[in-house]
Amino acid sequence: MAMEHDAEKSFIHVESSEGSNPNGSNPVTKVRMLLFRRMLVGVSDGRFFLGSFHCMDKQGNIILQDTVEYRSTRRSSPSPMEQRCLGLILIPFSCRTSCHVDCSIEEQLSLLSLPG
Amino acid sequence: MAHKPIESEARDPHVPVTSSISSGENTVWADVTSLLQAASQGLQEGELIHGDNFNLFAAMSALEIMDPKMDSGIVCKYYSVDEAIENGAAPVPLSFDKTIDVQCTIDIMDHLLSCEATWHKGHSLAQTVFSCIYLLRLDRTSSHAILHSYCRLIRATCKAVISVVSDARTHEEEDLFTMTYGLPLNGDGDGKCLSMLNAVEETISRQLRACKAPSSKKRVLEDIEPLQPNLDLEEGYCKALLCRLRFRKHFYHVLMCMRRPQGRGLELARKHIASCLSELECIYKSAEFLRSSACGNCEDGIEDKTTASGCEPIGFDASLNSRLSAPTPPRAIRILNWKKAIEYFKKLLHHLDIICSYSLDPSLEAVLRFVVQFQKPQPDLVARAHLQLLLVQDGKLYGRDPIFAVICRAAALPEVVKNHDIQKNEFVVQLGQLVINLLKILCTNAAWQRRKLGKILQDWRVIYVQLELAFKTEFGEMSSITNEENVCVKLSKHILIWVEEQTYWIASRFLMLGFELELYSPSEYCMVYWYIYVVLIKLAEKHHLKMVMSNDTGKRKGKKKRDSPKDVARDYQIPPAVLFLQCHISLAEGLTMLLAALRNENRVFQSLGPFNTEHEIFIQHFELLQQACIPDHISYLSFKDTTAYAQFSTLVMYNYFKDALRLAKELRSSFSNDPDRMAELRKIEQVAEHNGIALNVICRVGALDPSLKVSFEFNHHPYFATAVVRRS
Repeated sequence: MAMEHDAEKSFIHVESSEGSNPNGSNPVTKVRMLLFRRMLVGVSDGRFFLGSFHCMDKQGNIILQDTVEYRSTRRSSPSPMEQRCLGLILIPFSCRTSCHVDCSIEEQLSLLSLPG
Repeated sequence: MAHKPIESEARDPHVPVTSSISSGENTVWADVTSLLQAASQGLQEGELIHGDNFNLFAAMSALEIMDPKMDSGIVCKYYSVDEAIENGAAPVPLSFDKTIDVQCTIDIMDHLLSCEATWHKGHSLAQTVFSCIYLLRLDRTSSHAILHSYCRLIRATCKAVISVVSDARTHEEEDLFTMTYGLPLNGDGDGKCLSMLNAVEETISRQLRACKAPSSKKRVLEDIEPLQPNLDLEEGYCKALLCRLRFRKHFYHVLMCMRRPQGRGLELARKHIASCLSELECIYKSAEFLRSSACGNCEDGIEDKTTASGCEPIGFDASLNSRLSAPTPPRAIRILNWKKAIEYFKKLLHHLDIICSYSLDPSLEAVLRFVVQFQKPQPDLVARAHLQLLLVQDGKLYGRDPIFAVICRAAALPEVVKNHDIQKNEFVVQLGQLVINLLKILCTNAAWQRRKLGKILQDWRVIYVQLELAFKTEFGEMSSITNEENVCVKLSKHILIWVEEQTYWIASRFLMLGFELELYSPSEYCMVYWYIYVVLIKLAEKHHLKMVMSNDTGKRKGKKKRDSPKDVARDYQIPPAVLFLQCHISLAEGLTMLLAALRNENRVFQSLGPFNTEHEIFIQHFELLQQACIPDHISYLSFKDTTAYAQFSTLVMYNYFKDALRLAKELRSSFSNDPDRMAELRKIEQVAEHNGIALNVICRVGALDPSLKVSFEFNHHPYFATAVVRRS
C-alpha cells in the first residue's frame, strides 16, 4: 500500500517534469506509452514470451498479460516451434535476454531516440 | 540509434525471432532493451510503470518464469520428446546384445508396474506411466514384439481404468487421476493388443520348453531361436518375461469382465483375478534371479528400487511431459518402489475379488451392510469405482432391479406392490434418485463420504414431508373401504416409516465416520456418544415398527386356527436385528454416562477451551442434524439434562455395559451364519466387558482418587472406545 502511495507521488513528480518537457521524450513516459502493446521477451534458456506489456519495475522485471510461450523443439536451429498459453507472467530481469515491441517503422525511430 | 538485427543483440544464439514469430502487418519488432534500461534509471525506488487497470494484488498471482515451482516449461535436458529420442534416450532395440535387451525390457515392465501403482494412488498419468518415452511414441517399438505388445496392452489398460473412474465420477476426490492432457491414449488397433500379446507369449513359452528339453530333443526344436544367447540364463529370463506378460493379460481381462453389465462377468473375473495373483507371486519370486544376473552394480538401496533387478530402467523421463501436466509444474513425486507396487496390486485384486464374490443380494439392507463392510479396510479409488459401477447402472440396482421395487422390498411391502402406479409420482421418483445417490456416496472415501452424508440429511427430511403430502393427495380421496385402499394405506405407511429409518441410518453413519476420521477430541466424546444414542434409539424404533407392521399384515392374512392372545404374546419376540441395534444403544448410553460422570466428579474431559463454549461445540458438530431435525425435539439442553447428574454411584446400579454384554452373548445364536455380524458382536462384547471392569475399578478406588488416570482408546472397536484406567 505504501509503495503505491509513493508511486503516486513520484508519478506526479514525473508529470511535472514532463510538463516542462513537452516532447514527452522522457524514457519513463515513452515506456508508459508501450503499455498494453504486444511485447516479445526472450529468456536465457532460449524460450520467447509474447504478451501484452502490463507492468515494469525499477529493477527491470516485466509482467506480461495473455502470454504465449514459444520454444523450439530442437536444441539446434532451424526447428519447428511449439507454443502454449500461460496467462499472466512475470519475467525477472536476471533471465531476460531480449525485449522487442510490435510497432510501425516510424514509431520505431521515435521510440528508440533517447534524450541526449 | 540504428536498428540492429536481433540475433546479435541476444546473449545466446537463438532462432531468428522475426522469422518464426510474426509481428503483424506493416509492423516490425523494435528492440526496446536500452529504452527500458533508461526508464529504469528514471524510476524512483518502488515506482512501477503500469496502466490504470493495474491491481498489485492480482499481479502477485503472475507465474514467475524460471522459478522451478511455477514455470513448467524450463528447458532442461531435452527440448522435446523427439529430441530426446534423436539423442538415444529410448533406443529400439534396447541393446544389440540380446541378453541385455531382455534385461532392459524386464526392467521397463517392472518400472511401468510401479508407475501404474503410483498413478492409481492419485498422481498424474503424465508423471507416471506416460513418463515412458516408448509409450509416448508407441509406433517406434513395432519391431520389438515383446515391448510393443506390452506397451500396447498397458495403454489399453490405462484407458479402461480411466473410463471406469470417470464413469463412476469418484475421481472428484482425487484431482489428478483422470486428466490425460493430450497424452496419446487412443491407439488404432489396440483391440488387437491381446492377440499380439498372445503370440509373443506363445513364442516365449516355446523358447522355455526348448531350453528345458534334454539335449537329444533339442535337434527337433532347433528351429526355435532362443530368447537370448546365454543358455544358462534362458530359463530364468523366459519365466520372468512370461509371468509379467501373463499378469498384464489377466489384469486386462479382469477389467473387461467386470465392466460387463449386470454383473455377468464377475465369475470369470474371479478366475482372472486368481491368475493375476499367481502371476504376481512368480513376478515377486523372479527378483532373486534378476538381481543376481543383473549387469552393473545395482546393489545400493535395493529397497527403494522400482525394478526387480534393482537397475534403473531406460527410456523414462518425467520432465518431457511437464508442460502437459498443467500450466504450473507438478510437484515432484516418488514412484512407488517395486515391492510396494506389487503389494498395491495384491490389495487391489483382493478388493476386486470381494466385489466379484458378492451375491448381488436384492435387499437394500444387505447392500448397505456389504458396502459398509467393504469400506472398512479403506480400499483404494479403483476398487471403489468398480463397486459403484456394479451397484448402480442405468438407474437400477445392479442394472437389473428397478429402484421402486428395491424401495418396496426395503420397506417390507409385498412383491405385488412394486408395479403400483404411485412410482410415477414425482416425489417417489425423487426418492429413487436419493437412494441411487446414497449408494454412490457410500462408495467414496471416508472424508468425502461424511461430507456428502451430512448434506443429504436435509434432502431425506424434506422428501419425507413431500411424500406424506403426496400420499394424502393421491390416496386421501378414496372413501370406500376397498382392497385398493388397503394396499394404498399400507404402501404409504410402509414407505414413510422406511424413509425415516433410512434417514436415521444415514445420521448414524455420519456420526460414526467422525470417529474414523478422528474429528472428535476426547472432551467431545460425551456429546457424540449421546447423539449416537438418541439417533440409534430412533433407528431401532423405526426398524422395529416397520417389522411389526409387516408382521401384522402377514398375520392378518394367515389367520387360521389358533390366534388366542396368549399364543400371540408368546410367539412375539423382538427381532434379532433390533436387538443388535440395542447392543449398540446400550454401549453408547454407557459411554455417555461414564464420560459424564468423569466430567461431573473428576472434572476431566471437559470442553473448557478459550474459543468455544460447550454449547457452541455442540452446534458445530451437530448443526446439519439439528437443521434437519434429526431427531426432533433434541437440543443441547436435552444433552445437559441427561448428563448433568451422572454419578458413579448410580452408574454401578444401571450398568449399561452389563446389558450390552448379555445381549451380545444372547445374539450369537441368531447370527451364526453371518460372519460380519458375529465379528461385530465379539467386538461389542470386548468393549462392554472392558468398560464394565473399568467402571468397577473406578468405583472401588474412589472416583476422586488423584492417582487415577482414565483414557479412552479404540483398541477393540473402531468407534466405541474402551476406558483404560491407570494408577500413576
